[in-house]
Amino acid sequence: MGANAMEISESKAGEVCVLAVAGRIDSSNAEQLGARASKLFAEGERHLVIDLEQVLYLTSAAFRVLLVVTDEADRSACRFALCSVLGQVRELFEMGGLLDVFTIHATRAEALAHGPAR
Amino acid sequence: MKRPAGLLYSAGEALPAGMLSFSALQHMAVMAVTLVFPIIIAREAALTAAQQADVASLSMLAIGVATILICLRSRWIGSGFLCTAGFTGIYLGPSMFALHQGGFGVVLGMTVIAGILQLAIAPLLRRLRPLLPPEIAGLVIAIIGLSLAVLGLRYALGVSNTGRIQPLDCVVAGVALTIMVGLNVWATGFLRVFCVLFGIAAGFATSMALGMFDASPLAARHGIGLVHVPGVEHLSWKFDLASLVPFGVAAVAATLRIMGDVSNAQRLEDADWVRPDFRSLTGAVAANGVGSAFSGLVGSVGVNSYSASIGLATATGITSRSSGYAAGFGFAVLAFIPSVGAGFVAMPGPVIGAVLFFVSAFIFSNGLQMITARMLDARKTTVIGFSFALAMMADIYRDLFSTAPPFLRPIVDNSLVLGTVSAVLLNLIMRIGVRRRVTLLVPAQEVTAELVEKFLIENGARWAARRDVVDRAVFGAVQVLEVIGRPAGEVELEASFDEFNLNVRIRYPGAPLLIPETKPTPREIVASPDGERRLAGYLLRRSADRINAKALGERSEVDLHYDH
Repeated sequence: MGANAMEISESKAGEVCVLAVAGRIDSSNAEQLGARASKLFAEGERHLVIDLEQVLYLTSAAFRVLLVVTDEADRSACRFALCSVLGQVRELFEMGGLLDVFTIHATRAEALAHGPAR
Repeated sequence: MKRPAGLLYSAGEALPAGMLSFSALQHMAVMAVTLVFPIIIAREAALTAAQQADVASLSMLAIGVATILICLRSRWIGSGFLCTAGFTGIYLGPSMFALHQGGFGVVLGMTVIAGILQLAIAPLLRRLRPLLPPEIAGLVIAIIGLSLAVLGLRYALGVSNTGRIQPLDCVVAGVALTIMVGLNVWATGFLRVFCVLFGIAAGFATSMALGMFDASPLAARHGIGLVHVPGVEHLSWKFDLASLVPFGVAAVAATLRIMGDVSNAQRLEDADWVRPDFRSLTGAVAANGVGSAFSGLVGSVGVNSYSASIGLATATGITSRSSGYAAGFGFAVLAFIPSVGAGFVAMPGPVIGAVLFFVSAFIFSNGLQMITARMLDARKTTVIGFSFALAMMADIYRDLFSTAPPFLRPIVDNSLVLGTVSAVLLNLIMRIGVRRRVTLLVPAQEVTAELVEKFLIENGARWAARRDVVDRAVFGAVQVLEVIGRPAGEVELEASFDEFNLNVRIRYPGAPLLIPETKPTPREIVASPDGERRLAGYLLRRSADRINAKALGERSEVDLHYDH
């Protein structure tokens, strides 16, 4: 495993399940993140937040997976949001015109306080 | 973008009327000091007192219009930030040269040309960066500081009029300078901010007390009403080929200064600021060019951004553009109130000398700071040291240089021009061999993101490249490799670096990369077979400062360029 390989840690805060991702999200691991989210929806989680604070960058493959997760949440009537989209990661969201496509909270605390909107 | 803690009103925020008036008045008071420069030129041109007052009024109109232009936020012109205009020592030497070449008409004509030159430079800023690095900007500013000190001393000692030191002039200049320095060093708040104005007032008072005050400029306007359109009978515009070099150098120096000032203004707005926004810089330089051309057309000298306005914005926490608009409008109105212009013209020579000597210290120190902020290797030391020495020689051995061939006179006759030309030429020579290059050749099947990250981050650290730029390059390279997949054959990754550029070139077996100009929709990214590839190409186009993809027979090449 490289120094910047993706790591996912899962936690629960009340009704909200949080996946905190660290490292790089690219074609080699994006599907792994998507599969983890799908599994959580299948197990009955209704509120999911993905925390991107520790993510270094994400490629087009990662954006596609996040869009697929959004669709899946919509179909399952689940709520899905992102939080702590910072630095280069935020720039990439801006460049791709994808900031408005997702529900994004400034911090994890804000995401938990408001609850995912979707 | 993160709002800094001390920022009260940002560039786009409107100020309440009372605060707007006070903020604008403060800027006007600080900007007013720079009116000494056109007045010095008018005096040296031996214009009558009434004509000098007209020059002062027209100069107020010029900095008013230039301030509004520089603050504007539009696609074609303006920085979008609070950055006021002022007259500058940059144009003093070239204007003196032009005066000797053919009088005030040459000064005005060449000021218009300098403005047009700056307008032409504006769209080329990004490409000119390697030719005009910050240490050369610092050198130019330091030389201007020293030239102003020399001129200031002439006025302060009374040498400019008589050729001999005048004791009473020394007293007036000494009082004015002592007040300025004393308030600047030991006072706080209001007294410190307006130390120059208090020094000028003390100089006026001392001059009156010693019976040296010449009230004729004020008397010349006696009988004219409160509002008066400035006279333009002294205006003419002439072109002089020999003056083109000094005014060209002045236009470059003014460009360097406004780039520094607007970069500072940008930094005040954003705690996360890491690199200048070139669109804003280009608009600012274009505005400066139009402002100088306008100034020359209405009968004054070249304008530039006024660094003190950035300092004032920092001190007050008010960076609202509306302050700049109000200050600009205020000066445009004052241009039609003749007693204000006459008041500036009546300023005694020793007081002007004290102001010049005082500000020269700050300009010189600013220049030194800009030079030493960069790590000075052998190349830069040679460029700065040799050019500074040459600039000093132009002043010290003026008689010797006066025997130079006529085509060299415009260059060697002026310390600013000689120092700048020397620095630019030496910098070009010293760039030979400055670019460093490394290549990674691996079978496509074995390329991983980890390998690419390690290669770029380690070499970036060795070259002392900025980490944020390296991170963008890492994303670019990994994104390219993700799109090309793992074809049979070798992938060549080449990274090259100099102080201003980080380039990544990737050669691989397969078709050229698709780099679309429009972004795919979220639906296309998810459902279309090439949606993800189109997003990849679009992200690459947006994240690199330049990108180029082409076929090389069976292989293809992608060039990613990042400004550093």
